[in-house]
Amino acid sequence: MKIATTRILIVFLISILCVSCSERNYFDNGETAESFTRGKTVYRLGDDISWKNTSVNDSLWAEDITIKEDQIFWSRTDVEIIKAPDKLKQYGIILNQFGEFEVFWDGVLICKSGDPNNSLNSDRKGKMISKFIIPKELSTKGKHKLAIRKSIHFHLDYNQFFYFYIANYDQILRGDLKSMVFIHIFAGAFLMAALYFLFLFLSDRKSFTTLVFSVNCFLFFLLILFEYVRSYIDIHYSNHHTRLEIIGIITFLISVLTPLYFSLQFKFPKRTKILVVYTAILVYIFFREHENHDSSAYNMVVFMWYVSLAIVVFGVIKKMNGAKIVLISLLASIYFNQVINYDISIHIGFSVILLGMFYILSLRTKEQRLAYENSLVQSTRLKLELLKKSIQPHFLMNTLTSLIDWVEEAPDKGVLFIEALAEEFDVLNQVENETLIPIAQEIKLCKSHISIMRFRKEIDYIWEDEGINENIEQLIPPAVIHTLLENSITHCLPSDENSMRFKLIAFTTKNTQEYTFLTFGNIRNQQKKTSDGTGFKYIKARLTESYGDDWTFTSEPTNEGWKNTITIQK
Amino acid sequence: MKILIIEDEIRIAKRVERMTKEFFLNTLQKITSVQSLDEGLEHIKNNQLDLVLLDLNLNGEDGFDVLKETATGSFHTIIISANKEEALKAFEFGVLDFVPKPFNKERIELAFNRIVKKEEVGTENLQFLAVKKRGGIHLVNIDQVNYIKGAGVYTEIFLTNGEKELHDKSLEKLSQLLPKSFERIHKSYLVKTTEIKEIIVKTGSQYAVELQNGEILPVGRTKYKALKEKLFK
Repeated sequence: MKIATTRILIVFLISILCVSCSERNYFDNGETAESFTRGKTVYRLGDDISWKNTSVNDSLWAEDITIKEDQIFWSRTDVEIIKAPDKLKQYGIILNQFGEFEVFWDGVLICKSGDPNNSLNSDRKGKMISKFIIPKELSTKGKHKLAIRKSIHFHLDYNQFFYFYIANYDQILRGDLKSMVFIHIFAGAFLMAALYFLFLFLSDRKSFTTLVFSVNCFLFFLLILFEYVRSYIDIHYSNHHTRLEIIGIITFLISVLTPLYFSLQFKFPKRTKILVVYTAILVYIFFREHENHDSSAYNMVVFMWYVSLAIVVFGVIKKMNGAKIVLISLLASIYFNQVINYDISIHIGFSVILLGMFYILSLRTKEQRLAYENSLVQSTRLKLELLKKSIQPHFLMNTLTSLIDWVEEAPDKGVLFIEALAEEFDVLNQVENETLIPIAQEIKLCKSHISIMRFRKEIDYIWEDEGINENIEQLIPPAVIHTLLENSITHCLPSDENSMRFKLIAFTTKNTQEYTFLTFGNIRNQQKKTSDGTGFKYIKARLTESYGDDWTFTSEPTNEGWKNTITIQK
Repeated sequence: MKILIIEDEIRIAKRVERMTKEFFLNTLQKITSVQSLDEGLEHIKNNQLDLVLLDLNLNGEDGFDVLKETATGSFHTIIISANKEEALKAFEFGVLDFVPKPFNKERIELAFNRIVKKEEVGTENLQFLAVKKRGGIHLVNIDQVNYIKGAGVYTEIFLTNGEKELHDKSLEKLSQLLPKSFERIHKSYLVKTTEIKEIIVKTGSQYAVELQNGEILPVGRTKYKALKEKLFK
């Protein structure tokens, strides 16, 4: 089982590796293209349509200029096509820049984005990333000129950010599509995971871990969407920062939730304190170089990684289930960080870590299932235990022996005895399939038991109860008080008047239900411990079955006899 | 007859007492009924007894501790218990009879008859002889017993390893409890027949047996025939 899951994980990791390798040629600033080399870019303020021409002397143009808001300026870039496009193929250009612009290739207008004349009142139709065809006749081998006429209204400080790439036009389109497909398969998977675990959480509101995981998956889905939305939705350059801001916030939230999740799975001491300090540092990182979005996101992720690693290493040292696999996934994420460029590695790294989180969640689910199955077995066992009470030889044979004696010696009393026995069997039959019964029914069971024991032991047993209210819900697992009663009869001696008194007090509040069972008699053997007896085990198992950990049970001698207290949190 | 009943069910204790009285009639010197093991042990310690009637499951306590104690005593023990599955174990310790609950007059009188008629318990279940030793109780496996010699009200148990243990039960009572592999060869000797090497016939109708370990024990004149039959059958 374990080997199989490890294999699946390895297959996942390899497939992620393939995905990431196949999309390396896109938006990669360090790339050396086969088709072109980029020369110098120079700028000039002002507007003259003749500047589009190749022949214009731009030797006096500046490499760095100060732009004024909404004012038109030009840029000219030397481009050398190293290799002309193949027959029947055509080059395209992908541009990434701020502003409203017109692009001239060797003096010919090849594209337009927005309107440079109207950057202030722009209808914001211009795209930050645009892809266009370079006419076949203009993409010959040799030198070319890329002239751009543009104006900027928003984010002036980004005016000189200008990136372009020339390749076969179909390759440009497809390359984009490819990375979209792969990364969105991820997004879909994480959206499904988020929904699935959200539904799991809704069906079990106590499972905080499941909620954290679900939210984390959803945030990851959003992160991918916002990261890649620019490829299929035209984003005006003025919205670029909003997008980065959203990505930053999502990254921050993921960085908080991931170690939180690990801390829930691999519980370490002083968790809350450490997590609060961690979050505080994360907030600091988030705001320190806020404008430098990529860098602060990167720092947050790296910090998150180290903290997660520390938690998981703690889990490995303590030999917690699943910690090793998660450690491997964390270490694998460094590999992706080393090999692949930042934009993508951050997602791949996250994916791998999320896979690790997925893995431990599946382990925990398995543990829960086993626990549930055990609880079913336990319930059946308890049911049998209850049935056994009435047929175990010590009870049955002693009762029958006494009964024979009564029938032989005083037949009319014998009949009463049989009726009492029938009553106890009847109540036991009624409750055998229940896990909780009204206290009134439990009292009926106890009273019938007392009637039987009166005939057997010839002791005057007296039953009293207090606080029983038929109109409110007072529940108890079947035969719990009955078991306490049996114990008292066995371990206590009657008073001098040959009588023994029992008193059950029910105390009900809005949130708790308390039962106190008192026995007035002399304890037979003071030293003897009864807390490990099968009777007490039955009581504890029954309470756990219905109330989990929300109950307490104490049993202690008093001056007058014995006192048992059961408190249940409702 | 001095009898002790250890039973925590009053109604049953009364029933046993009534039936005991009806059976033993005027041979009954004293009958005591107690409800707990502690009281029972106390009574055993301080009183001379002929018979103990014991319930093995008292107030949730394990009656086998008492059984070990009573098995060392000079008296016979009859178990009256609801747990039939404990019968085998009880016989291993050397009880005269095991009366399962619920019981009637016939069944309990059958048990009493074993005492009166000195019947042997037709069982091969006895595994141990419980002996008192250095303040504690020591269980001697009967496989280790060579022969038993009567010494007044006591008996001496001779073991295969050459050691000797004292038992409070009389030879009479032990012969009732021991399995068939033990044969009464003399008024003072009970021998495990598998340990007999040969029968020695002396002059003047005197008989003896030689054991595997070389010891020679006398054979009673009246016992010779039965022994011979058993050995050569």
